[in-house]
Amino acid sequence: MDQGRPDVFTAYALKLCDGASPHSGLAPIRLSYESLHVTLWSIIVAANDAETTNKVSALIKPKEHFDFFHDERVRSFLYQFLTACAVGWVVWYLVSNTSHNLEVRGMNTGFGFLTSSAGFDVDFKFIEYIPGQGTYFDIFLIGCLNSLFVSGLAIVGCTILGFFIGILRLSSNWLSSKLALTYIEIIRNTPILVQVIFWYIGVFSFLPTVKNSVDLSFGAEVFLLNNRGLNMASPLPGDLFWLTQVAFVVAVIGVFVLRYWSHKRQDDIGKPFPTLIASSALLAILPGGVYLLTGSPLDWDIPTLQGFNFVGGFSLPPAFLALLFALTIYSAARFAEMVRAGILSVDKGQSDAALAIGMRPSRVMVLVVIPQAMRAIVPPMISLWMDVLKNSSLAIAIGYADVVSLFMQTTLNQAGYAVEIVAMTMAFFMTISLTISALMNYYNKRIQLVER
Amino acid sequence: MAIVTKQPTPPRPAPLSESSVIGWVRINLFNSWMNTGLTLASLYIVYVAVSGLGVWGFSDAVWVAKDRRECFAISVDGACWAGVVSWIDNIFYGRYPRAELWRVNLGGVLLIVWMAPLWLPRVKAKIFIGLSAVFIYPFLAGYLFTGGDKGIFMQTMVTVAMVCVAGNTLHAMIGVISGRSLPEFLIGFLRMKEASEKNQRNMLLGILSLTVIAAYILQMNWSLETVSWTKWGGMFLTLVISGIGIASALPGGIILALGRRSKLTLIRVLSISVIEMFRSLPLITVLFMATTMFPLFMPEGFVLNKLVQVIIAVCLFYACYMAETVRGGLQAIAPGQQEAAHTIGFGYWKTMGLVVMPQALRVMIPNIVGTFIQLLKDTTLVSIIGLYDILGMLRAISQDTPWRGLYREPLLFGAIVFFIVCFIMSKYSRHLEVKLSTGHKTGNE
Amino acid sequence: MNNDRGNPGEKNMTSTKTSETPAHLASAASSEVIIELNKVNKWYGDFHVLKDIDLTVHKGERIVICGPSGSGKSTLIRCINHLEEHQQGDIVVDGITLDKNLKNICHIRTEVGMVFQSFNLFAHLSVMENLTLGPIWVRKMPKIQARDIAMKYLERVKIPEQADKYPGQLSGGQQQRVAIARSLCMNPKIMLFDEPTSALDPEMIKEVLDVMVELADTGMTMIVVTHEMGFAKTVADRVIFMDEGDIVEENEPNAFFNDPQHDRTKLFLSQIL
Repeated sequence: MDQGRPDVFTAYALKLCDGASPHSGLAPIRLSYESLHVTLWSIIVAANDAETTNKVSALIKPKEHFDFFHDERVRSFLYQFLTACAVGWVVWYLVSNTSHNLEVRGMNTGFGFLTSSAGFDVDFKFIEYIPGQGTYFDIFLIGCLNSLFVSGLAIVGCTILGFFIGILRLSSNWLSSKLALTYIEIIRNTPILVQVIFWYIGVFSFLPTVKNSVDLSFGAEVFLLNNRGLNMASPLPGDLFWLTQVAFVVAVIGVFVLRYWSHKRQDDIGKPFPTLIASSALLAILPGGVYLLTGSPLDWDIPTLQGFNFVGGFSLPPAFLALLFALTIYSAARFAEMVRAGILSVDKGQSDAALAIGMRPSRVMVLVVIPQAMRAIVPPMISLWMDVLKNSSLAIAIGYADVVSLFMQTTLNQAGYAVEIVAMTMAFFMTISLTISALMNYYNKRIQLVER
Repeated sequence: MAIVTKQPTPPRPAPLSESSVIGWVRINLFNSWMNTGLTLASLYIVYVAVSGLGVWGFSDAVWVAKDRRECFAISVDGACWAGVVSWIDNIFYGRYPRAELWRVNLGGVLLIVWMAPLWLPRVKAKIFIGLSAVFIYPFLAGYLFTGGDKGIFMQTMVTVAMVCVAGNTLHAMIGVISGRSLPEFLIGFLRMKEASEKNQRNMLLGILSLTVIAAYILQMNWSLETVSWTKWGGMFLTLVISGIGIASALPGGIILALGRRSKLTLIRVLSISVIEMFRSLPLITVLFMATTMFPLFMPEGFVLNKLVQVIIAVCLFYACYMAETVRGGLQAIAPGQQEAAHTIGFGYWKTMGLVVMPQALRVMIPNIVGTFIQLLKDTTLVSIIGLYDILGMLRAISQDTPWRGLYREPLLFGAIVFFIVCFIMSKYSRHLEVKLSTGHKTGNE
Repeated sequence: MNNDRGNPGEKNMTSTKTSETPAHLASAASSEVIIELNKVNKWYGDFHVLKDIDLTVHKGERIVICGPSGSGKSTLIRCINHLEEHQQGDIVVDGITLDKNLKNICHIRTEVGMVFQSFNLFAHLSVMENLTLGPIWVRKMPKIQARDIAMKYLERVKIPEQADKYPGQLSGGQQQRVAIARSLCMNPKIMLFDEPTSALDPEMIKEVLDVMVELADTGMTMIVVTHEMGFAKTVADRVIFMDEGDIVEENEPNAFFNDPQHDRTKLFLSQIL
């Protein structure tokens, strides 16, 4: 029993000498772990007292052959150590190559370029920007805002459209259900890039010229569509417009108060109150009334045709419209499937039970089915929002100035600074993605069905 | 006061208003005012869409013409499919030399022949066939498509591939006919059934070595003309990129998913970072990053051509997506399976490989096929960075002089091609789902 | 013992403990017909699931329906509160004919309570909210009043302490008792039970059956689809045996169990008893 160990000690010591042969490439590694091993054992064996060694050996429960490699702690450490070394080496290799290459090509590094002025202009922007004065950082902001703008509108559109198509898909009307299915299948089995390009080239390039703009506002000439974009009147608030804005805020607060009051009233006397209608009326009438009373202080900058173009008003480029439509329609098809799956996931027995106590089918939907369906719909819906933002980067194929096409392509070609620009673009997407993940986790925690 | 029905009532057919076509129409289409309105609106939409598309796409369309002008001369309102027809070769093969197209076709046929045994009954060792298809076929295909001089390594791999495909086919045929595997058949053929295991093994190894040497000698004299990757294009390029992507996404995804579930902190943190990073970025950004950053990453003088850069980017990206799918599948496996495996003495790798993974993969197959479909569709993004995949070719038609301005027809053709392929794949995945779930009973909770 | 007006479920009663050989509950049936089925036929597609069903139920009567699976028993009681639609024949409940008139259907459903095999408690609401949902939204009751009624019935089914728990936190037997209380909160005249104990673990069946026996003792009209023959012997005024869409045999319990007339009945009883 204990006699075996000094042999092991000697054996390892001998192996140590063998292992130090210069021909074995693994010698340094073997040497180090052998020496570690030997040290460990020497500590144990060095005690002269056989009793102590017995006690110590009983404590650490040695096997007949202490299998170094199969010890879990050793393995865990070894794996992580080796992984860290490998990853570290790869990273060091890439970084050193990159810095060397950058030097050789005379490319600059550092984020200082963000304050220098960009020489080009951007058609579609939300912030004040003058070419020659605006900085590259402004360009970055413009790109981010443009991405968020088209994604935001597409999210709103696809949620509404997708919801209706999902409900249609569930309807008992065979024809409508199959029609919705056809729509969904066609959209989902075609690449989104093909759809984006199709909308741009196949639809929006067939728009009439500026002179023959299509008037979408039925004669009022404030909503004009042509091959340069959608021109619409932009509001010019007058002096007293702030009163209407205040009235709107008051109306919003009023809606919350109304909801609270109507719930309390129902608790007290049992009669439900048509809150939805009343809130809509409040939101429409209060600001509307104030607006009219203050003399309609809203002027409109109406686009007027001067020469070959429209002057005034606000215009959305065709690339934007094409991207918006493509994103909305594509994501609506995916959302429709989520809605359908979510509503089907609610057990039929739930609606049976609700109907059995005499509830109207509409109430059953609102009070029993939809709250439970939301659990299944909201998490994939939130990741769909992220996908809309990611798909908005296809703007690069049709020339809309989102962050990828404006910053990662145009600016990179103009200014260089590849690493920094790539890093900033990555940071934009990753920040939004992390925010959305946090949102989803928060939602999941809140609506967890309480179980044993 | 018993009330007893002596004779059981015979079942009667449902009244006409219930069964039959009239009944079905009444229930499904017209059973309420709203439904009636919906039906009428839907019928109108269908009529407009079908008649409009039908007239434009079929009855008024021009199928053969020299150029766009001629199309207009023949039919002003119809679709000018003639442009697509005249570019068909480009659309499917890119600019691959027409004389060498047989190589592309041979590569495709070889893949089908190689993979076919996976669907045949009574063929054993399907895992080996599948793995060989993933790891060995690419070398053969790579050489077929690229050509040029073969170094020692390439010669070896081509030899191995040739032996593999021949062996697989023989094995499949023997399996289907007699239910035995190739080694069993050979042993029987050589009447060595009674010989010891060692002798049998040696004999098989001998046959294998002879075959390998013969194949090596055979292919030494074969050489193919070099076709640069820049000539690859169209559907061929799309399939190459997505094929390599699919082949590496699943193993890569499994590794990342296992890493994410690992108890070792460093590995877990690394896996999560990589997965979350790639999943939060759009693919086009990753492709851009690859084409701008890879030249910087490589040591001086070492140039990765654009196709390789794109393939690496696509593989990394989709490995992360696949990792999430695999993770979902692993989570669906009850922890009791792992516990049971541990009690019979399986360590981590044995548990994963023999118990957990097979079950998880079966559950995940619909999602895996879904990711593959997504990958196939996303390969179209490489057209943005200048690789002429099928979408790139279709868009190039409108730049060609005789067909200048022809946008819609090529795009629609591309949409139809993708739709057919993706639709078939998703139907197959649903079929798989049904087939696997009927054989797989989940335990009651 | 039975009241013609007001709902039987509210009466105070002495609890009837089910012992090994329970005494049969005194019948509470009156002569007033409360449910009438006349030549009711139903098809699922081409499958004829209910064939010329004739059934008359008097107020206060307690009926047990039994039979092999697929015989149409669940379909029959689901037709009574129009969860399933019948194609031919008449169903008259409490004087109102069941047809496509949504108002009539909803009104009938408030008077007919139903307890399901899989409980079907609203998973996203607490027990109290489950119970008060109907009174508040259908009977338009103030919340406080609804809560009082809910607590009263929770005490009836002997689980008042679970009022604020969620269904997922309760055992099967507790969930089913909450489901019974939920139906009772609507003050129904008729209670339908669709295999209420089939999904329960054996040790929980008794607690639910006890509640049902107690309910029967108050004079509630009950139609129960079940395999629990002990319950039938104790409580039922009539036992109905259904097979393949027909009502094959109908008798009072003693005669039914001791002297079945039809061969099919004999076969069924030999399999389950």
